[in-house]
Amino acid sequence: MAQFLQATVYGLLQGSLYALVAVGFSLVWGVMNIVNLAHGAFVIMGAYVALEANLTFGLDPLIGMLIAAMALFVFGYLVQRLLINLVVNAPIWMTLLLTFGLELFCVNVLIAVATGDYRSIATSYAARGFSMGSVRVPYGRLISFVLAITLTAALAAFMNRTRTGQAIRATGMDRVTARLMGINVRNIYAVTFGIAAALAAACGALIGMVGTFSPPGAGALTLRSFVIAVLGGLGNMWGALAGGLLLGAVEAWGGQYLSGTLVNAISFGVLILVLIVRPTGLLGRPFYEARVEV
Amino acid sequence: MTGRRIALVAAGASLVYAALAPTFTTGSLLRTLGSIFMFATLAQAWNVIGGFAGYASFGNVVFFGLGGYVVAVLMAKARWGFWPSLLVAIVFGVVFAVLIGLPVLRLRGHYFAIATLGVAEGTREVVLNMPRLTGGGSGITIPALGTRATTPYPGNRAFYYYFLVLLVAATAVVWLISRSRFGYALRAIHQDEDAAGAVGIDTTRAKTAAFAISGGLTAAAGAIFAFQQVTIYPERLFSVEITVLFVVMAVIGGTGTVAGPVVGAVALQFLSEYLRSHYLEFHTLIFGAIIIVAVVFLPQGSVSFVREAIAERRLPLLDNVRRNRL
Amino acid sequence: MRIRIALGLVVLLALASCGSESKVTGAGGTAAGTIKLGAALSLTGKLAREGILTREGYDYCRDKVNAQGGVKVAGKFYKLAITYQDDKSTPDTAAQLVDQMNDGGIKFILGPYGSASTEAAAAVVEKNGQLMIDSAGADNAIFAKGYKQTFAVLSPATTYVTAMVKAAAELASPKPKTVAILSADDGFSKTAAEAGAKAARSAGMNVVATEFFPNGATDVSSELTKVKPKHVDLILGSVHLAEGIAIIKQSQELGVNPKGGFGLTVAVPTPTFVKTLGKAANDVIGSSQWTPQTKGRDSLFGSAEDYTTGIRTKLGHAPEYHNAEASAACLAFIEAANKAGSLDVGKVRDALASLDVDTFFGHIKFDSTGKNADKPMSVVQVQNGQLVTVWPKGPGTKPLVWPTPAFGRR
Repeated sequence: MAQFLQATVYGLLQGSLYALVAVGFSLVWGVMNIVNLAHGAFVIMGAYVALEANLTFGLDPLIGMLIAAMALFVFGYLVQRLLINLVVNAPIWMTLLLTFGLELFCVNVLIAVATGDYRSIATSYAARGFSMGSVRVPYGRLISFVLAITLTAALAAFMNRTRTGQAIRATGMDRVTARLMGINVRNIYAVTFGIAAALAAACGALIGMVGTFSPPGAGALTLRSFVIAVLGGLGNMWGALAGGLLLGAVEAWGGQYLSGTLVNAISFGVLILVLIVRPTGLLGRPFYEARVEV
Repeated sequence: MTGRRIALVAAGASLVYAALAPTFTTGSLLRTLGSIFMFATLAQAWNVIGGFAGYASFGNVVFFGLGGYVVAVLMAKARWGFWPSLLVAIVFGVVFAVLIGLPVLRLRGHYFAIATLGVAEGTREVVLNMPRLTGGGSGITIPALGTRATTPYPGNRAFYYYFLVLLVAATAVVWLISRSRFGYALRAIHQDEDAAGAVGIDTTRAKTAAFAISGGLTAAAGAIFAFQQVTIYPERLFSVEITVLFVVMAVIGGTGTVAGPVVGAVALQFLSEYLRSHYLEFHTLIFGAIIIVAVVFLPQGSVSFVREAIAERRLPLLDNVRRNRL
Repeated sequence: MRIRIALGLVVLLALASCGSESKVTGAGGTAAGTIKLGAALSLTGKLAREGILTREGYDYCRDKVNAQGGVKVAGKFYKLAITYQDDKSTPDTAAQLVDQMNDGGIKFILGPYGSASTEAAAAVVEKNGQLMIDSAGADNAIFAKGYKQTFAVLSPATTYVTAMVKAAAELASPKPKTVAILSADDGFSKTAAEAGAKAARSAGMNVVATEFFPNGATDVSSELTKVKPKHVDLILGSVHLAEGIAIIKQSQELGVNPKGGFGLTVAVPTPTFVKTLGKAANDVIGSSQWTPQTKGRDSLFGSAEDYTTGIRTKLGHAPEYHNAEASAACLAFIEAANKAGSLDVGKVRDALASLDVDTFFGHIKFDSTGKNADKPMSVVQVQNGQLVTVWPKGPGTKPLVWPTPAFGRR
């Protein structure tokens, strides 16, 4: 029983990190129908920014997180505005290939600049924790869990209450009409992509704090985001959060009661199951493909 | 002589040339060319489901891996020879495609792409977790060298011919498809699946058949590859990088055309080799940049691009950007 | 359109075959006093870091021997030249590159990095009649196939965990009674883990759990949660860097504190391990193919200490064992060519098979399958943020710190 509780708690904490990575990915896919294969690369880039901030200026990763988010927002905005916007109307696999090329490029620039070494951001508190009975709760992961929920809520509020957020939702529902209403769609797309990149970067800082990262790990992060985005329903923020938590728990249970090597197979099994049984995701509603829901 | 006749003659000439090439080229170049032919086959097989039918599968490598592992397991564990194993591998690929197609072909667009990717990655994990049958992470070795071999190892020349024959077969299949009702059905599905259904095309059957053909050809390539490599590992045989590579080849060459995947494979492999030998540290980076440039300026692929350029007597590079930008 | 495409194809193929003909040189690969060696290394991809370290090791050897005038073969001096190609950390590319080198007349191959690429290259080397000296492929599977043309200077996979077991059995007081083994699921790690488990049982330890996780995993929490209630004395990991770091970090998070601490094979001698974990890395033991305390000396590099100083001066960083094993492979070739008195592949091969020399890397003597079975693996430990050698005991080694205080108190 103690093992089950520990696995569940740890799995949920782990899942919250996955969820945060996936929220931005789901947003971009839901609003713009763009699958960003470079999303994992943004996470790693954010982690490196936070690492640099920590090594050079001694900044705690929670502060480094803000810097990383700002830096990657700008980067994401420019990438969308100057590059991806050019192929938005092309057949679907064009954006897939474009973002794949982008991923290759970014990951290899990172390797050239920072080497392929595994890195981590050292803090005095992240690995320590407290015990609830026989279950250990590490501080670092607890903080990430709280932040993941906070950021998702903040994003939801942004989407619902601000003009830009509503412009994004409108564009996601019907791009042509949004344009007719005076929304600068090129700018909105870029802002959306920038937000997604910023969230990815923030997550990267958190991952750096609780675990390790390296440029070749970008692909696995992107793959997981797929699974969670589909699980939760495209464009659905809370869905991504729920999906991430669920996936984290399921993987933890799988690792506990089956062989540890089956963890990846489990996540793909879940993906295929969801796609077959309920392709719009756990919390998605069966409307048009590109629709933001919060 | 009409344009088409010239094209056929030229194709026939290059075929004859390719058939005679081994008599005056070296062993490792044959290996490189063989690998080009293999990728061209993979791109051509993808072309059937992705190019013609418009169902962009991102998991076709699953057939490649399964074909390879079927051959490896039959030869290593059941002591079969290569040729019967190859046959079983092809059948396995076809059957797997049909079975997977049942749920997966109901999805469209990105969902289909992601589902196939999930199938590929999931299958790799399953193979990794059956070490007694497949060797798991340690890989599996085909007894090909020495006296324990059930079929003696053929050597670079033979593999060159195997891959060449497979490529010719794949291209012939695609050529036949492009001129048949089946091909029209696929193209109709690509353009507007619901309308295609409305005019009486059995879209499910057509899609499944396309997927099955794609799976069988890819499995054949995987089978020959496994034999050539002797020892295979799951990460390599089910690698998503292989999928993306042959999709890029098909797209850059021209999806939905007959020559496109071949052109794309040849061009990209030579480019890759060139980059690798001249830019030892940065070749992957440059490769990524080239993909980006190609997608922005040549999204319809080089074959169609060249056709348009000749027809309109100018280079429509920026046209694509104008057409596809937001 | 189609004409041009078809013609283009013909032209391309023609150019390609023309290009290759001029590449074919005479057999042997020596021209006017230079011996050409070939190396397909993972200069990009997952194993890039280790591939580059291997390259540094090969280069250092080449520079050293050329500074001395070259490799002495039958009274004449030959310069050493190494051609590198990038195998992108993929085994089939490594095989293809070695094949290409064969066509370019390069018969002597310095091994790629990693067991998978080495195994792929070994098959090609055997088929082509080339000769390969393996510096970084330790999996015993490579040597179970009856290949005659591949020789490995490094200790095989079966020694990585076994060495830690032996060190603990010999030096730890009180001796650990219960052990848990955590292993990645790739071939090399599994071979090491199985051999380690066997050694532990013969040393009188009880192996209470063996858990596997995917290669490259950064989350081993499930395995640790399963092992925690068994309260073992020692946790041994047959791992690479990522999994090793994860084991320590997550053990800290989950409160897993074995009395004897952890032994994490190759993760520990990697500098990033200590850099990343800080104090948590203290008292963790690991295994290494070579340390600056390794006994032995040779005429090219001197002793292990000399090698350390040399690398530091030349490259600006302390040598890792990947540098040393690479230099040792190159050195083995030099010794064999010298001994054979000829650059004929068969004669050098036989000279290698009968080689029996002391080097800065330890003793090099190959058994009938091509493994360097007598060379001992060293066991290291992190003490106060520094990597020290604890086993086998000798000059410069430090005593083992045992038992290990819990994480908060290191």
